[in-house]
Amino acid sequence: MQQPSLSPQRSYTCPWCTTTSDGTRLACPGCGVSINVRENVTESGWIELPGRKDMAKIQFGDSYCQIEGELVPVADMSLAATDSVYFAHHVLLWMDTQVRVSAMSLKGAWKRMLAGMPLIMTQAQGPGHIAFSRDASGELIALPLQPGQAIDVREHLFLVATSDVTYDWFQTGVWFTTRSGDDTETHYPLGMFMDRFTAPQKPGLLLLHAGGNAFIRTLAPMQSILVKPTALLFKDPTVQMQLHFEYPRTNSWSPWMSWSHRQLWLRLFGPGRVAVQSAYEPIEDNGRTISRHSNATNRQW
Amino acid sequence: MKRCPSCNHLADDAQKFCTIDGTPLVNVAPEPVAARAAAPPDADGPIQRIQCQWCRAMNDKTALNCRACAAPLDIQDLVSESGWREAPRIRDMAEMHFGNSTCQVEGEIVPVAEINLAPGDSVFFEHHVLLWKDDNTPLGVMQLQGGMKRALAGMPFIISLAQGPGRVAFSRDQTGELVVLPLHPGMELDVREHAFLLASHHISYSYVRIKGLRNILFGGQGMFMDRFVTTSAPGLLILHGYGNVFERVLNAGESILVEPGAFLYKDSAVTMDVQPQQLTTGFFGGQSMNLAKMTGPGRVGIQSMYVHHRTD
Repeated sequence: MQQPSLSPQRSYTCPWCTTTSDGTRLACPGCGVSINVRENVTESGWIELPGRKDMAKIQFGDSYCQIEGELVPVADMSLAATDSVYFAHHVLLWMDTQVRVSAMSLKGAWKRMLAGMPLIMTQAQGPGHIAFSRDASGELIALPLQPGQAIDVREHLFLVATSDVTYDWFQTGVWFTTRSGDDTETHYPLGMFMDRFTAPQKPGLLLLHAGGNAFIRTLAPMQSILVKPTALLFKDPTVQMQLHFEYPRTNSWSPWMSWSHRQLWLRLFGPGRVAVQSAYEPIEDNGRTISRHSNATNRQW
Repeated sequence: MKRCPSCNHLADDAQKFCTIDGTPLVNVAPEPVAARAAAPPDADGPIQRIQCQWCRAMNDKTALNCRACAAPLDIQDLVSESGWREAPRIRDMAEMHFGNSTCQVEGEIVPVAEINLAPGDSVFFEHHVLLWKDDNTPLGVMQLQGGMKRALAGMPFIISLAQGPGRVAFSRDQTGELVVLPLHPGMELDVREHAFLLASHHISYSYVRIKGLRNILFGGQGMFMDRFVTTSAPGLLILHGYGNVFERVLNAGESILVEPGAFLYKDSAVTMDVQPQQLTTGFFGGQSMNLAKMTGPGRVGIQSMYVHHRTD
């Protein structure tokens, strides 16, 4: 992450999304972040999502998106006739009557249905206004994608993307099974699938909704960090993931590896960016012994 | 710009009659906020007043917050290019007046409405929004019509009443905004069920049955909406919107499609009709999406966090 920079020609490069603008604007046209606002960086190296003024505008194609509100922000898009966006239908807040919506079919429908992921995406074609929001307080994250750039996003966090961004998904490969007698249950702490968004040829815009506040950091090659699996927001495709179990020592008697004493983590390896959200769902547990798991490390304290 | 001489509602130049109460509109030339702010405090001439952009109440020129709705007077309205006006962010500890009583808004994430009731004044509310009260503030029950229908529809069939003198405070259970709606005489406002926080006793409270089976089944509102009506005296109505709240004024015949769970309030002149949107794809069928078509004339208010929170 770079510091904001004004070149002698008064051009401005946004430290968040690296979009270059002419330096006369109050907000970055690529992501809406206020210009020349000092970054909030924690002592541990996490960068807080930079501030964005209410009603800030983001440009894409011949269209723009206005971010409205600060508790549960709304992405209000003014679509030009040549532009379209796609989204999961439950994030739609309102739209003009002339906006055309249609279904965008996805590959692997059967697997997606089994995994509880949306079976279809909805596509909206301009001209007209259409607005999106989620059902929890948090922040809107605008990620302009440059040609060739891709980003991996945890499931159900995606809000809306422009049609220049392709949507794909892949198996997370992060799982463990618990057993009780003959009963075996498979758990996916990250979800069975992750979304991958790519801008193959043209730049595109991806909007996510983070629960609570969002923080980002860049990991060096082979640098790792432990995060709660459901706190993961997005990562660069170069970042690798695996499970990590910890067993804190306890004075009271308990069966070894009992759920009540173990901590479940997601280990992320660099190089690349990782982002987390501060409000995340607790992982469901059934208190049973782990019988098998994907590649993982463990530690006893 | 035109103004209704009866309820002070502002309208476009093209309109002839008030969308709220039908009164013929008169021309007005609103004074820019910057000009008002620049006026010297001891200027001679007629007393200068500041009109609140949210509720249209007139305020003393030195006031920072509106006396009637506590909206900041020194901050311009935030209006999106699509025409939605963001509900004013009420300053922490700002105060508003109704009757001889006051209401102070405390907090900004889940704001509290703390009422200091004067003798003779009262407010009514659903019992589960009560946060605290003085030991000596009397509580009562407001008589309602159609109790059986309300009970069957999952609406509260008992509305509580707090009478002055004394203090009583209210809040809801999620992040959001207080929407303060001073109602002028002769106004009718429809509100999503369970969204109202409190109302002053000058406002009459009833319910209106949502028409059409499709609207009931897929409209996300249930069978009834709350209706608040003022007859001869003005009243104060406070709602709690989840997330951020936005308002838009629809002209006669103008329509917009809204997620049904996002609907918060509307003028009674605005009609609502659920429109299904079929999204299908091949072998696996698809999903249907229902949107509420709101048609003017009148105001429509929506909340950005639109999950329906059940209340018991």
